[in-house]
Amino acid sequence: MERYLPILLLFFVAAVVAGVIYAVAIFVGRIPKGGPVNLDKERPFECGNPSDGASTLRPTVKFYLTALVFVVFDIEAVMIYPWAVKFSALGWNGVATMGSFIALLVVALVYVWRKGALEWEK
Amino acid sequence: MSSFLVALAPLLVVGLGGLLLMLGEAFAHRERGGSGPSADLAIGSFVTLAAGAVVAFSLWLVGPENLGGAAGVAPFLIIDRFTLFFDIVLCVGGALAALLAGGYLPEHKLDRGEFYPLLIFSTLGAMVLASAGDLLSLFIGLETMSLGVYALVGFRRGSARSAEGAVKYFLLGSFAAALLLYGGAMLYGATGHTDLAGIGAALRGGTLTGADYGLAIVAMVLVLAGLAFKVSAVPFHMWTPDAYEGAPTPATSFMAVAVKSAAFATLLRVLVSAFGDPASMSWGTGWPPVVALLAVMTMTVANLVAGRQESVKRMLAYSSIAHAGYLLVAVVALMTQPGIAQGSILFYLLAYTVSTAGAFGALILCGSRGKEAVSYEDLAGIGHRHPVAAAAFALFLLSLTGVPPTAGFFAKLYVVRAAIGGGFLPLAILLLLNSVVAAYYYLRVLVYMYMREPAPGAPVAAPMRSGYVTAALLICAAGVMLLGLWPTRSLELAIDAALAAR
Repeated sequence: MERYLPILLLFFVAAVVAGVIYAVAIFVGRIPKGGPVNLDKERPFECGNPSDGASTLRPTVKFYLTALVFVVFDIEAVMIYPWAVKFSALGWNGVATMGSFIALLVVALVYVWRKGALEWEK
Repeated sequence: MSSFLVALAPLLVVGLGGLLLMLGEAFAHRERGGSGPSADLAIGSFVTLAAGAVVAFSLWLVGPENLGGAAGVAPFLIIDRFTLFFDIVLCVGGALAALLAGGYLPEHKLDRGEFYPLLIFSTLGAMVLASAGDLLSLFIGLETMSLGVYALVGFRRGSARSAEGAVKYFLLGSFAAALLLYGGAMLYGATGHTDLAGIGAALRGGTLTGADYGLAIVAMVLVLAGLAFKVSAVPFHMWTPDAYEGAPTPATSFMAVAVKSAAFATLLRVLVSAFGDPASMSWGTGWPPVVALLAVMTMTVANLVAGRQESVKRMLAYSSIAHAGYLLVAVVALMTQPGIAQGSILFYLLAYTVSTAGAFGALILCGSRGKEAVSYEDLAGIGHRHPVAAAAFALFLLSLTGVPPTAGFFAKLYVVRAAIGGGFLPLAILLLLNSVVAAYYYLRVLVYMYMREPAPGAPVAAPMRSGYVTAALLICAAGVMLLGLWPTRSLELAIDAALAAR
């Protein structure tokens, strides 16, 4: 269990650092009672630019399908990279394994396509 | 190269069948209106899952020890009689749910084809879970199974109850999976193994230092908690009634039957292979007292609460929790009587599968669109209006109660015998007392069906007619009677399977 002591210490240091930063920010940024109100300081932080546009953006819900499909094929890429590195060592066994994996994903793509999830406007 | 394909044949058959059905559903039913996709897909799913069961049974006859390929997939997937037994149970549970869905979904205007591929892939995940011999494959199987089931619970998209059940199940399920993973990570940290046999060997060897041993104990508790969630043992049962009630009834049947069986399969595997060393299996320093406490709480709380339910579906949900409690009693008996206790668990799961799937099927048959039978009052007088459905319902409820000569009687008998033989007399007595309490709410359904008439002017549930549901009920009834009248042969098979899981 002693081996995990550094991790515990890390947590402790992280908590102290975060706490100190908060305390300093609150101390430095406090407004004295009855003091002048600085309008710029009251503004929601936006990289120093004047705030612009409505605060309630409405992203279209259609993004969720794109996101889901993206995740599937992103993972595919992650799986294929190590195979490419070890291609010659794995030989035909690797080709067969990876081939069946990609075939499964092609089936998924066909399904998604057929179901109309790739069409932006229905 | 190809011999491992033979060993994996049940998984491959189910997986490929699921893919074909998924594509078929996407290509065939593009037009709106007309008859929905259920008819073809229900039969297709039934055939796929039945084929999975048949393939698993033929591998059983060949003998998994004669399959050269079985060693090739170990320890990630262990192909032995234990696995094949569960493959059969899970495929039967899935196939029955597919038949029930064939009648239920069109009747309740839920006729969307995705149900069937989701069902099949969940079954596939459950089969992987039951055969997993490594924490990694165990987790993959668990998630494959659970993700499909989460979607099935939320299948009634317009229903607030369905959404509530799905969200609760999903959140608590993810939490439980995280506990399980955390425990798995600690086990790997303590022993340096992810395969269950390796973990077991490390614990048995007694070479762990004090700190690592403490880590392994914490890991054991976390893994137990994660699995107790999946078998819905009290106090990890809070999601069960809501998820079971919100889900479409065929999905409820699948959860109560297949998900629970798979969870028990992996619980047995983990407790026997990974935590099977003498120290972990002893009353003083191991898991048996924890599981015994879970069993006592699960039985007692579930039965007391089930008696107070006004919805029959919710009552059946609590009843499934109670049955998990009875099974946990047998799990405790693993400590002193490993072979007999495991055999009794497997037999119990088989009997429980046909009885519970049948009970949910009969509940489906008693209602129709907009008039689903939910409360006891809805069932009043069904005995005269729809004698066949009522008779089937009565048979399955008697089996769940444990009345001879049904399957449930021998299932309980074997569990009690294992508990008494193992020296756990108090647990056995508690189990019997709980069965008496349970008889109250099971028989209450019978009283309403046969001895009450609906109040004048009250809405009555109009029974539906469906060949699919009737077929499923016939299969379940045959199973209940066969296991009840000739239990010895199936018990021998179950003990064979249990002895294989060494």
